[in-house]
Amino acid sequence: MSQWLAQVIDRASTVDDWLNGPRQQALATLKEQSWPTRRTEAWRYTSLHALENLALPAAVSEDVSAPVVAGLDSIDLLFVNGELRTDIGAIAWPEGVRVSALNAADASMRDAAQAVFNMVKPERHLFGLVNDVLATEGVVIDIAAGASIEQPIRIINLATAGVESHHRVLVRLGDEAKATVIEHGSGSGASMNTSFAEYAIGKKAVLEHYRFALHGGAVIHMGGSHFRLDEAAKMNSTLVGYGSEVSRIDVDIHHAGEHAFAKFNAIYLLAPKEHFDLHSNIEHAVPNGTTEENARGIVGDKARAVFNGRIHIHRDAQKTLAELNNRNLLLSRGGYIATKPELEIYADDVQCAHGATVAEIDEKSLYYLQTRGIERSQALVMLNFGFIQELVSQMPNRALADWLAPQLRARFEAMESR
Amino acid sequence: MLTIKDLHASVEDKVILKGLNLTVKPGEVHAIMGPNGAGKSTLGYVLSGRDGYEVDSGKIEFDGRDMLGMEVDERAQAGLFLAFQYPVEIPGVSNMEFMKESVNAVRKERGEDPMTAAEFLKVAKAACQQVNLPLEFLKRGVNEGFSGGEKKRNEIMQMILLEPKLCILDESDSGLDIDALKVVANGVNSQRDGKRSFIVVTHYQRLLDFIEPDFVHILADGKIVKSGGPELAKEVEASGYAWLGEHQEASA
Repeated sequence: MSQWLAQVIDRASTVDDWLNGPRQQALATLKEQSWPTRRTEAWRYTSLHALENLALPAAVSEDVSAPVVAGLDSIDLLFVNGELRTDIGAIAWPEGVRVSALNAADASMRDAAQAVFNMVKPERHLFGLVNDVLATEGVVIDIAAGASIEQPIRIINLATAGVESHHRVLVRLGDEAKATVIEHGSGSGASMNTSFAEYAIGKKAVLEHYRFALHGGAVIHMGGSHFRLDEAAKMNSTLVGYGSEVSRIDVDIHHAGEHAFAKFNAIYLLAPKEHFDLHSNIEHAVPNGTTEENARGIVGDKARAVFNGRIHIHRDAQKTLAELNNRNLLLSRGGYIATKPELEIYADDVQCAHGATVAEIDEKSLYYLQTRGIERSQALVMLNFGFIQELVSQMPNRALADWLAPQLRARFEAMESR
Repeated sequence: MLTIKDLHASVEDKVILKGLNLTVKPGEVHAIMGPNGAGKSTLGYVLSGRDGYEVDSGKIEFDGRDMLGMEVDERAQAGLFLAFQYPVEIPGVSNMEFMKESVNAVRKERGEDPMTAAEFLKVAKAACQQVNLPLEFLKRGVNEGFSGGEKKRNEIMQMILLEPKLCILDESDSGLDIDALKVVANGVNSQRDGKRSFIVVTHYQRLLDFIEPDFVHILADGKIVKSGGPELAKEVEASGYAWLGEHQEASA
C-alpha cells in the first residue's frame, strides 16, 4: 500500500456527515484494495508512481475565474479545488431543477443524493472509493419528472497548485426530464484531484452531457462519469481530455432499462510527455439497448495514451446494438498508445462491432487535398485534425463546439510544429 | 498550354497508356472519348501526379514547365485542375476551410496576398450560387453526405474558385440527370474565357451537347486513335465504339 493511500484511510475516519452510511461501506471496500502495480490489469499502462509519495508544493493563490465560453448561455457553478464559490441561492433556477451544495443539502436533497450516491458508480474504481470517503464537497442536482431544462448547467472545477481535492457530482433526472450538464475541469499547477459524477437517468429522460478534462502540467487527475439509463432513456455524452502528469478517467454506462440509447464520443489530444488514460465500460444488462461509442486521440511526442473500451452484453440482452470505434494518431515515433477494445457477449441475437486503429492516414483524401494545391504537410495537419474535428462537429451544443474547435486546433498545431 | 508527347504510363506494372500524344492550346476545349478501360481516367491521374501512376517514358509539358518533376500540389498551384469522377468524402474538414486553404495556396504561387475569411466567404458564396449549391454546404465536411450530383457541382465550384489554366473534367457527367448536367455544363461554360483550356473526358456524347468542344479525340487501348471536330462525337454516338475492334487489329 502506498503512503498516500494509508493517509487517505486515516483522513477518511475524520469525515463525519450525513453520507456516513455509504462512506463507511466504501471505506471498508477501500481497505481491502491493494495498491495497483503494473500487474493490475486496470492500471497496466498507467503508473501511479507519482502518487505513491505525493508531496505537493505549498499552495499558491491563482486566478480562479471561470473560463468563459462565448455564446454559451449556461448556469455556472464555480468550484475551486472542490469548494463551491457560487452562491447557489442567488441563481434564478428554472422550474423543475433543485440544486444544492453537497455539504448544505436539506432533507429532501439528501434523499435525492442518496438515490444516486454509489447507486450508479461501480465500486471497482479505486479512486472512486477514495472520492467516496473524502469528497465532502460537490453538488446535487435533482431534475423533476417531465421538466425540460433548456439552459445547460455547467459545473466548473478549477484545480490550483499545491492542493489535493475531492469533488462529487450527483445528478438525478426524473422520468421524461431533459437537461444538459457540463463538467468542466481545468488546471495545470502541481495538484491532485479526484472528481466523480453519477447520473441516474429516468425513463424516457434525455441527458446531454459534456466532460472537459482540460488539465495539463503536473496535475494528477483521477475522475469518472457514470451513467445509469432507465427504460427508453437517452444520453449523448462528449468527453474531451488533455493529458497531464497522470490523468485517468473512467466512464461507465449501464443500460438498466430496455430501449435506452447511449452515444458517447471521446476526444483526447496529448501534448508531449502528457499521460491520459480512458477506460470506458458499457453494460447492456437488458435487451434492446443501443450504444454508439467513438473515441479518437492524437498523441504527441513522448506522450502516452491508454484506451480501454469494454462492452459487456449480458445473457438476456438480446437485440442489443453496440458499436465501439477507437482511432489514434501518433505524431512521432516517441509517442505511445495502448488501445484495447473488449467485447464480452453472452447473448446470441445482437449486433456488435468494434475496431481500433493507430496512425492511418487515408491516402485518397491526402491526394485529393493535394490536387487542390495544398502541400502534403499542411494536408496532413488538416486530415489529422479533421478526424478529431469530426467528433467536435457532432457535439449538439454549437457554442461549445465553436469554443472548443479553435482551442483544440491551436493545441494540435503546437504539437505538430515541435 | 499542354503538350503530351509519346506518353507511356502504368499502374501496378500494368501498362495503361501506350504512346499518347496530345497538344492543347490556350482557350481550347478538347473532348476525350473512349470505351471503358481505354485509359481515360488514368490520363487525368497521371497528369495530376497521383502516386502509383508511373510515367515510364514520354514528356508532359505544362505552361512551359516540365510537369513530370512536379508534386501533386505544385501542379495544382501551377494551374492544373482535375475534377474527379468520384470525389472523396472527408468528414471533419469543412468545405469552407478546405477551399480557403486551397485558394490561398494557389494565390501564394501566383504572388497574390492570401484572402481574408470575409473576402473568401464572399467569393465562395457567389461560386456556390453559380452551381446551385446551398450555402450550408460550405460548412459541411468536404463532400460529406453529398449526393453524386452535389459532389460534381462541388468540384465545379472548386474549379471556379481556383481559376486554373487547364481543367480536366473526368466523367463529370456520369450519374447526373439532365438538370444537374446543365448546371455542371453552365459552370464550365462560364469559365471559358478564351485563355483557359479544358480537357473533357467522357464516355458519352451527351455532355458535349452542352459543352461544345473544339476537338474530339478517341482514346482506345492507351492511345489516341482518331481525332476530329465536334462531328466525331456524333459519329460515336451513332455507331458506338465497336468499330475500334477492327481499327485496333489493323494498327497492331
